[in-house]
Amino acid sequence: MITILSDHTKQKVGETLYESLKNKDILTEFISVEEINVGPCYSCGGCTDKTYGKCINRDDADMIFPKLIHTDVMVMITPVKWGSYSFKTKRVFDKCAVIGDRHYYKKNGELVKGKIGNINTFVAVGVKANWLDGEKEVFQNLVAENIKIMNIKGSAYVVDDKNWEVCLEAIIEELS
Amino acid sequence: MKKAVIINLSPRKKGTSRMLANRCQNYLIEQNYLVEIFHLYPNIKDLKPLFEVINESQTILMVGPCYIDTYPADTVYLLEELQKNNEVLHGQNLYGIIQGGMPYVHTHESGLKMLELFAQENNLSYKGGFVIGMGAMLNGQPLDKLINGKKVEKYFSLFMEHLAKEESSPASLYNEAQLKMPGMVYWLMAKAMNRKIDKFRQEKGIEDHQKNPYEELDLSQS
Repeated sequence: MITILSDHTKQKVGETLYESLKNKDILTEFISVEEINVGPCYSCGGCTDKTYGKCINRDDADMIFPKLIHTDVMVMITPVKWGSYSFKTKRVFDKCAVIGDRHYYKKNGELVKGKIGNINTFVAVGVKANWLDGEKEVFQNLVAENIKIMNIKGSAYVVDDKNWEVCLEAIIEELS
Repeated sequence: MKKAVIINLSPRKKGTSRMLANRCQNYLIEQNYLVEIFHLYPNIKDLKPLFEVINESQTILMVGPCYIDTYPADTVYLLEELQKNNEVLHGQNLYGIIQGGMPYVHTHESGLKMLELFAQENNLSYKGGFVIGMGAMLNGQPLDKLINGKKVEKYFSLFMEHLAKEESSPASLYNEAQLKMPGMVYWLMAKAMNRKIDKFRQEKGIEDHQKNPYEELDLSQS
């Protein structure tokens, strides 16, 4: 199963991708992070000490995580902010560790963490009309680090006004 | 007298980011700075007082934890709000410190890159930063408690010197301070940390294959 977590983009990247995958009969869930309210991770340790594996604060993450925990592929569609994820996207991502494997592993000579739920593939799609100098590389490096630390496979796409249709085709092909 | 503002980007008021903020504050005060520490989370609904301090400062230092390879979400919110109020940005020096659990620089460095790009677009002068691995294990204790504490102390002091002199601080400082161990040592570290996790779970009565609480929620109701 694929879950698309999508923040607002002018080109409606998330919505278009969702429709395209649905038309190919690929089991896909669409969650708009634009319309939800996920609070910050306060690093309070409550998900370890008090309610193991569950955040002690109640918000829309309670709607997202039951879906995300059953998914194999997480796709994040995010407007890019200085080479990073949008505020709303990052709020969700920050809390994902709560459904993650707490153990450490060694891969390529380095420590890594375990998977988030059953997710084995992470695809991040960064969207911006006018990227700053070097910003695409910063975003791609960030996604590569995310993939590395989660010990899974994945890829990053950098979308602008010109390459949007080509990128969409490539994403659909990867997910099909 | 020169003014600096240190912004604690951590939701915790008493952790490693706070300890680092205090270190920098004390050092800058010794160098005749007027320094204020501003905690982001308790003030997030009203950032006006922070913007006033930023407007009056020559140097801004952002100190925070690393959440999944960069600063937490609320740092993005702060930067967005700063951009909306960019009349307070007029070429000040911007420095960053990011600290996280993994011992590697590359895991956390994206946070500094974000600050650099922000500065590029918003009339600030990015002067570099410092990356500290295994910060989560410190939990607010002094830097010398790290396995590579002596080295980190040495290079962090050099970073603070650059900060006080408003000089660029090169990435080579935190790269030099990074813990470098053979893969076997990391394997042993993983084993030791996993034993600790499993012991904790046993004490809490959490079984190995116990479902996550979110798994048990009825999807049709969510």
